[in-house]
Amino acid sequence: MSVVPVLRRVGLFLGLPVVLVLTWWFASADSVQFYQPPLSKILAVFPSTWTWQRFDHDVVPSLTRLAIGYTIALGLGISLGALIGSYRSLRALLEPVLEFLRAIPPPVLVPIFLLIAGIENTSKILVIASGCVWPVLLNTVEGVRAVDEVLGDTCRSYRIGGTRRLFTFVLRSASPQIMAGARQALSLGLILMVISELKAAHDGIGFAITEFKDGFQIPEMYSGVLVLGAIGVTLALLFWLVERRVLGWYRGARAAERSAP
Amino acid sequence: MLDIRAVRKVYDSHGRQVEALADITLSVADGEFVCVVGPSGCGKTTLLRCIGGLLPPTSGEVYVSGRRVSAPPDELAIVFQEYGRSLFPWLRVDQNVELPLKAKGTPRRQRTRLVDEALEAVGLTGARTAWPWQLSGGMQQRVAIARALAYEPKVLLMDEPFAAVDAQTRADLEDLVRSVWRQLGVTLVFVTHDIDEAVYLGQRVIVLSASPTVVVEDIAVDLPDARDQLNTRADPRFVTQRTHVYSLIQKAKRTAALA
Amino acid sequence: MTQAVPKSGAGAASPVLLGLIGLVGFAALFEVLPRIGVLPADYFPTTSAIAAHGLALVRQSAFWVSFGQTVGTWALGLAISVVGGLVLGVIIGAVPLLRAATSSTIEFLRPIPSVALIPLVIVLLGTKMSSTLVLVVYASFWPVLVQVLYGVADVDPIARETALSFRLGPLDRVRYLIWPTTLPYAVTGIRLAASVALILTITGELVIGSPGLGHDIQTAYSSNAVPLMYALVVVTGLIGVAANLVTRMTERRILRWHPSVRGEVPV
Repeated sequence: MSVVPVLRRVGLFLGLPVVLVLTWWFASADSVQFYQPPLSKILAVFPSTWTWQRFDHDVVPSLTRLAIGYTIALGLGISLGALIGSYRSLRALLEPVLEFLRAIPPPVLVPIFLLIAGIENTSKILVIASGCVWPVLLNTVEGVRAVDEVLGDTCRSYRIGGTRRLFTFVLRSASPQIMAGARQALSLGLILMVISELKAAHDGIGFAITEFKDGFQIPEMYSGVLVLGAIGVTLALLFWLVERRVLGWYRGARAAERSAP
Repeated sequence: MLDIRAVRKVYDSHGRQVEALADITLSVADGEFVCVVGPSGCGKTTLLRCIGGLLPPTSGEVYVSGRRVSAPPDELAIVFQEYGRSLFPWLRVDQNVELPLKAKGTPRRQRTRLVDEALEAVGLTGARTAWPWQLSGGMQQRVAIARALAYEPKVLLMDEPFAAVDAQTRADLEDLVRSVWRQLGVTLVFVTHDIDEAVYLGQRVIVLSASPTVVVEDIAVDLPDARDQLNTRADPRFVTQRTHVYSLIQKAKRTAALA
Repeated sequence: MTQAVPKSGAGAASPVLLGLIGLVGFAALFEVLPRIGVLPADYFPTTSAIAAHGLALVRQSAFWVSFGQTVGTWALGLAISVVGGLVLGVIIGAVPLLRAATSSTIEFLRPIPSVALIPLVIVLLGTKMSSTLVLVVYASFWPVLVQVLYGVADVDPIARETALSFRLGPLDRVRYLIWPTTLPYAVTGIRLAASVALILTITGELVIGSPGLGHDIQTAYSSNAVPLMYALVVVTGLIGVAANLVTRMTERRILRWHPSVRGEVPV
């Protein structure tokens, strides 16, 4: 009778989402409000709106900019974070400046980067990178600070130093914290990607959605929102898969810790 | 092999000067097994860290193989008390044991051989692909010991390695250390607060005083080379010597309390 | 227990002093670089120019009106999310069936970028403060909810069984069992939510055009008042710093009497 538990799990997984979608469908079915089209209509415009051409023109550039900006943020954030976290004086020197810089809400940098780098890809990538770097940087600093003293002594006594120490010890020890920062950075990056495309852009998902809105193509606009949502969910899923792989040891160790008497 | 000359260590602790070690002078010959005991807080760990190059003495010198120690020397390995924290949780057991060899630059085939032999010596061949946190405390400490063994050091320092382990496991590990020592002929300095353990294991027992710490007495242990938990501990010579050490430590504690 | 061994050789300059030096150095850098032409002066006003504009700003009442609007939207949105997140989090967390039934929905909705809702709120609610408020609440609700769920899940099973065996009613269980365990998590969630809420407040004002500092920044940009724009950016940064300090102080105060202050779970 092992079908029942499986059915139960599937039911719990799909139940509420299905109910919500159906509610939306039926609640909006008879809608004559221009700005609240029926769900059926929204879904109906998908094939004609989201063609390969549009993918090429809008989705790919958006995601590419996100990928580049995010990668820059990761590289910069982890390397600077490891450096700053390793030297107490350096951290003390930079802490107030960093606290200030990271407290600046990233979207306000959009106008600044528009000024400096125009409306081409560079400014958008800069916006994404400049916002995403902070969670990564700060979490890396915290993670690197908190490396275990005993492990540090072990490395010293076995003369494990230099790059080996950095990669095998420091960064791996900090990796749970770094991953947490990377996750925050990803959701921030998505937000910045969209914001950078809402105005002063000529391609991208955000740009497409704004075009629909300004052209009063409301069902298409909603479809764009759904696409954004789908992208967000997919990226989160991908991240989760990577995290499972990289932090498998951490989950095991925490579980062992928790169950220890 | 080991030469400790007039080592003194003073810390700054919250503005106060704390003299952890006042004047420690002793020598350890090649291949000797020496145990260091003393009252709590007398600086046994500090002394070990100075010998191991992890802590520079305020004055005095430590010589290993005739060379002055200013950083952890090449031919020395340390086994810490907190075994759980001294193993890398993101590496499996065999990778943990292998790591110092990789850092040393040992070629792969030799590394594998050394790792295999070390794991066999501590009885953990079956656990080589396990994660450290899957193992019990005693097993984790064995991994740490295996790691030290694979490194093929000339000097092995052990800092109260069995303090956090249950009594039965401790007995097994004590015998393991002795057998490993006899097999490999390393020079072993073993710090412990357990007087029985010190007398059972060592060829010499160094008794430290309370702070300001000096060497109170350097006792040659009068027991046969072949020791086992049951018979040796019942031997009258064992009892006499451990009582002697115990009384020295009690005296040291009382002197400290009066000071 | 090994005796605590202090790290050898520390005792550098005091961290506070170093921090001040860092700040001064940073300000000096941005004073000098535009002047000597390394950074284009058109786009990078000097620190002194920014400061001058900033001082002029704080004397204008219009600024303070915007300031109040931004802080007000932020605070209101945060309050709504926190209350909603706490209440829903405790309820959902405490009932395993609810937890299982809602987990897929939460995982689907959570990663949706709140800014995706911008076109929606513009067409449905216009460019008033309420549009921005919707964004803020949507974005800051999830960190609170998720953290509270972690907290409720972390309740010690033995303590729970003890509570049940003493037949503590649901409200008592919440008070004595769930709340103390959840508190540190909730505080972490609020900290995250506060920073997200500020970001979305400014975003809303910037993009949607609802009244506030974000809107002022956009206006300054459009009229090419560059030093003014930077001055406003600095102000928002200072608000963020103040918000971080306040949340951290509150966190420390609340958690000081907490019996078991947990190490922070990476979030």
